[in-house]
Amino acid sequence: MSFFKKMSRRTLVQALIALPALSLFRKLPEADAAHAGPSRADPSRADPDEIVEVNGWILKRSDLA
Amino acid sequence: MIFDSYEAYRAANFKPKVCILGSGPAGTTIARKLGASGIPVVVLEAGSREFSDESQDFYRGTTVGDFYFDLDITRLRYMGGSSNHWAGWCRVLDKQDFEPKAWAPDTGWPIRRADIEPYLPEVHDILDVPDFRPDVPISDDIRWVQLIKSPAVRFGEKFAGELDKSSNIAVVLNTYATELAGNGKRVTGAKLWSNGQDAGAFSADYFIVCTGGLENSRLLLWSNQRSNGGVVPNATALGRYWMEHPTFEGGNAILADYGEFEVDAVNEAFFSPTPAAMERLRIMNFGIRLIETPYAGVKHVIADLACTAPDMAEWVAYQLSQNLRCAAQLYVAWEQAPLASNQIELSKTDVDHAGVPRIELHWKKSELERRTLVEGLKLFGTTLIEKDLGRVRLMDWIANGEDFPTNEETAGHHHMGGTRMGTDVTRSVVDANCKVHGMDNLYVGGSSVFCTSGQANPTTTITALACRLGDHLSKVVSV
Repeated sequence: MSFFKKMSRRTLVQALIALPALSLFRKLPEADAAHAGPSRADPSRADPDEIVEVNGWILKRSDLA
Repeated sequence: MIFDSYEAYRAANFKPKVCILGSGPAGTTIARKLGASGIPVVVLEAGSREFSDESQDFYRGTTVGDFYFDLDITRLRYMGGSSNHWAGWCRVLDKQDFEPKAWAPDTGWPIRRADIEPYLPEVHDILDVPDFRPDVPISDDIRWVQLIKSPAVRFGEKFAGELDKSSNIAVVLNTYATELAGNGKRVTGAKLWSNGQDAGAFSADYFIVCTGGLENSRLLLWSNQRSNGGVVPNATALGRYWMEHPTFEGGNAILADYGEFEVDAVNEAFFSPTPAAMERLRIMNFGIRLIETPYAGVKHVIADLACTAPDMAEWVAYQLSQNLRCAAQLYVAWEQAPLASNQIELSKTDVDHAGVPRIELHWKKSELERRTLVEGLKLFGTTLIEKDLGRVRLMDWIANGEDFPTNEETAGHHHMGGTRMGTDVTRSVVDANCKVHGMDNLYVGGSSVFCTSGQANPTTTITALACRLGDHLSKVVSV
């Protein structure tokens, strides 16, 4: 008998409902960073060629190093 | 022939077919074209051979809106007109300046640049400039364009000898046409003022108004008022859509190789947007003028940069120690959107010595122009980065969104619009041949016919349009 045939129908439905909640167990900071864009991300991961305006200067992000 | 007074002219009994008002670049060019075609023409110049405070006083007026120059300072009233204080920068309007722009109402000319290009060799001879090189694209967004610093021809000086010898051209100095009379179909005459008094009426078959980008509107507004609409029958747009080239110091640039763009004897280079960039950003044309920064100024720029990007500042300091030339000031002049609300009106309270109402100029810069300034500088800064040519810093008032300063260049002394060219009589004053709508014998020369201003100094385009009008009139006027 296969694994699925050992599970009750009720258990299987509960497991499917619970699937979207699994992301809650991921590392939240990384999830945020993925949607924040380079300017809010970890500076070490930001695009060094991104154009930024700082104190009136139009610069590449790498100029700020 | 040149006459220093109207009385001397009358004594000569010259019989002109065409009367041109004003001896500036437009008036002189049209007169020379007609004279060369054997058409007798008189040029009435309100001023004399030299500058005088008394003559300039006729140009006083007021401005409502943004800060602008005194109206008796921004133009000159003597033989040769405002060419007498022209700086000499030459460039004809760009091809795209003649095209309508979906994002800017009332843009687009009834002629294309191709219509004046045949006259450019002649214009270059008149203005003493060589041929222009084509624009050089340095990115998809920015063109390196050429403005040529000419010897700044003073039309009164350069052509006085030729005009004096001409038997077909009579230049009459100290003779002010205070108004034109018309019947809604034709100009029937002009009222003159000379030697401090009324000098009677003057008639000719054709009248060409070439008194300048402010004065053309003033004369026609006053004439139309006096003749109950008989001079400009469709006057809705008369005096409106007046434009300047707002000009300000926009920031600084540090350059990896200053010599990269060195094109002329004055060490200046000019940059403009590509048509694609203008359309994408929905901005007007502009010109960024790159001027070498003095040594002390470079150190200030480096100190400012060190607060933001220390490593970059260190590199610039090294460049400075190597060649002393690595920074530039950026002056920006831009195309003003044509707005009906920017207009020349007649003062209700103040008149000149001849009784003609003075000008009340209503002038304001728009949000579109502010955006053109800011986006233009950012576009230039981004291009320098992408091409590894340098970096740009915006002036604080621009970066911080503050008001335009009132202590800088302000504008180019370029007076455009007011009698603009077009096909819609409610939005223009003259047709594609510079003839006033509805009038058989009244034409306008000069930058007042401009529909849009582009970014280039207007004298080259004024002269080209004058050559074209001169050619047209040579065919229209029968001797």
